[in-house]
Amino acid sequence: MNAKIAIVGAGPSGCYTAQALLKCAPGLEVDVIDAQPTPFGLVRYGVAADHQGTKGVARQFARIFTRQGARFLGNLSIGDETTVEDLRQAYDAVVFAAGMSGDRRLGIPGDDLAGVIGSGALTRALYEHPDAGPFPVLGDTPVIIGTGNVAIDILRLLAKTPEELRGSDLGPGPSAWLAAQRFRKITVVGRSSAASARFSPVMIKELADLATVDLSVVFPDPDGASVLNTAVTSTSGPLPVEFRFESRPAALEKTGGGLHLQVETPQGRDTIAASSVISAIGFTSKGTLDRDAILRAADEPDGARGRVYATGWFRNGPVGAIPQCREEAQALAQRILSELQPDPDRVGRQLFAQHPDIVDFDHWQQIDAQEVAAAPADRCRQKISRREELLRPSNLQDA
Amino acid sequence: MTISILFGTETGNAEMLAEDIAAALEDDHETRIANLQDTGAEDLRAADLSIIVCSSYGDGELPASAQPFADLLRAEQPDLAGVQFAIFGLGDTEYAETFGHGSMKLAELLTERGATPVGERLVHDAAGGDLPEDIAVPWATAILAGRATA
Repeated sequence: MNAKIAIVGAGPSGCYTAQALLKCAPGLEVDVIDAQPTPFGLVRYGVAADHQGTKGVARQFARIFTRQGARFLGNLSIGDETTVEDLRQAYDAVVFAAGMSGDRRLGIPGDDLAGVIGSGALTRALYEHPDAGPFPVLGDTPVIIGTGNVAIDILRLLAKTPEELRGSDLGPGPSAWLAAQRFRKITVVGRSSAASARFSPVMIKELADLATVDLSVVFPDPDGASVLNTAVTSTSGPLPVEFRFESRPAALEKTGGGLHLQVETPQGRDTIAASSVISAIGFTSKGTLDRDAILRAADEPDGARGRVYATGWFRNGPVGAIPQCREEAQALAQRILSELQPDPDRVGRQLFAQHPDIVDFDHWQQIDAQEVAAAPADRCRQKISRREELLRPSNLQDA
Repeated sequence: MTISILFGTETGNAEMLAEDIAAALEDDHETRIANLQDTGAEDLRAADLSIIVCSSYGDGELPASAQPFADLLRAEQPDLAGVQFAIFGLGDTEYAETFGHGSMKLAELLTERGATPVGERLVHDAAGGDLPEDIAVPWATAILAGRATA
């Protein structure tokens, strides 16, 4: 089949969709568009720097471009110069897999105080995203709100010794920043009970293996053999890490000494002193795409224009990990193939003929090789972090 | 020789490796590649050798696409006497306690049903510096060479 398909977002959902489409219909023209100059989305900028095994899917994704014939159109933002409507005119189908990059706010009084940091803002700084802001000041007693895997990733990175970060791709700036932190205590606060917290048990086992931590739990799981309770018994490091479950954040206040987080617990209101608050309670759609309008369009068949689809976090909200993205993308690819009505008059990527700043997959392969070659002995990669340098690296050969 | 190359996967990495092994063997053998979730006892019996690539997921569990196959082996208890299999694992020593447990559990299930393991079970380490195909392809070729001279 010789149809033209645009996929907006080169993260796991977009890549798995391209992979599944081309596996079933190798003749398709599949263009994978990303606002960033680099592909793979959260595999590069969201999967923790010390979870390199999880990042291994990038090798699969690379083959979509090097062997299956998909094109990468990087550094191309949809929504401003090129609109969703433009894409629908140019392609037979348009898949939105743009993820979610905004931090969901706490939604309590004081959630905009200085010292309240979104998990995405922090991880963008740690993982050297081109849009990252400066590192926040965490102080000696940060409080992490949220008990999902993002919260645990942040906790683990904050608690790791430099030796425990060996083999990661954490950059020199973030590594120095982490090494300079002097925490007296890290508190993790969540609304859920210990038994129903969203983190995966494997993440807790990983915490229990760290040299520094001494875990404790307020409102623990009654099952004494739970992974977290076992970790409480097995850890005795110098850094107290307290999990406080069944504690619903109610308000944040700033006093002379720092922040005070009010929480509602089964035993009444409690106050937790915090030098800073990291909110890790999920993400929202942010950027140039009107997600609500796109999701409405995805439910309306319209024969005159390319059909719109949405998948992954962009469709479902920030739930599900890489395997779920794959499963959903494979089902979506089948649906797209059954609904495609190719129109040879559609121009496809010709739409972008006037965009000189688009970067392709060859460009990424050169950056990739350069980053791996630049890695110091205790790192597997040294990322290029600045957008200008990602677009025009000093020793790249392409224009 | 007819070789079934079967994969149990969660993120697709084992599928990719199965494709690499198939590509390396297909000139000299009749190969077919299949997902373990679409595989039954008769498929194992139909091949001279089944080469299985299986990852681990979560806390050393079988990956999603190997689970229906494992359930089938447990529920139907097929007699796999005469079936020969070689198994290659994908693991991550960051999770040392459960490293390679997915492939180990699958190998145990097959052996319990009477199937014969051929060669040594190897597990690639995602935290190491080697590419899985650089280990798995020579492993598969060596197993086939061993069988040819046996």
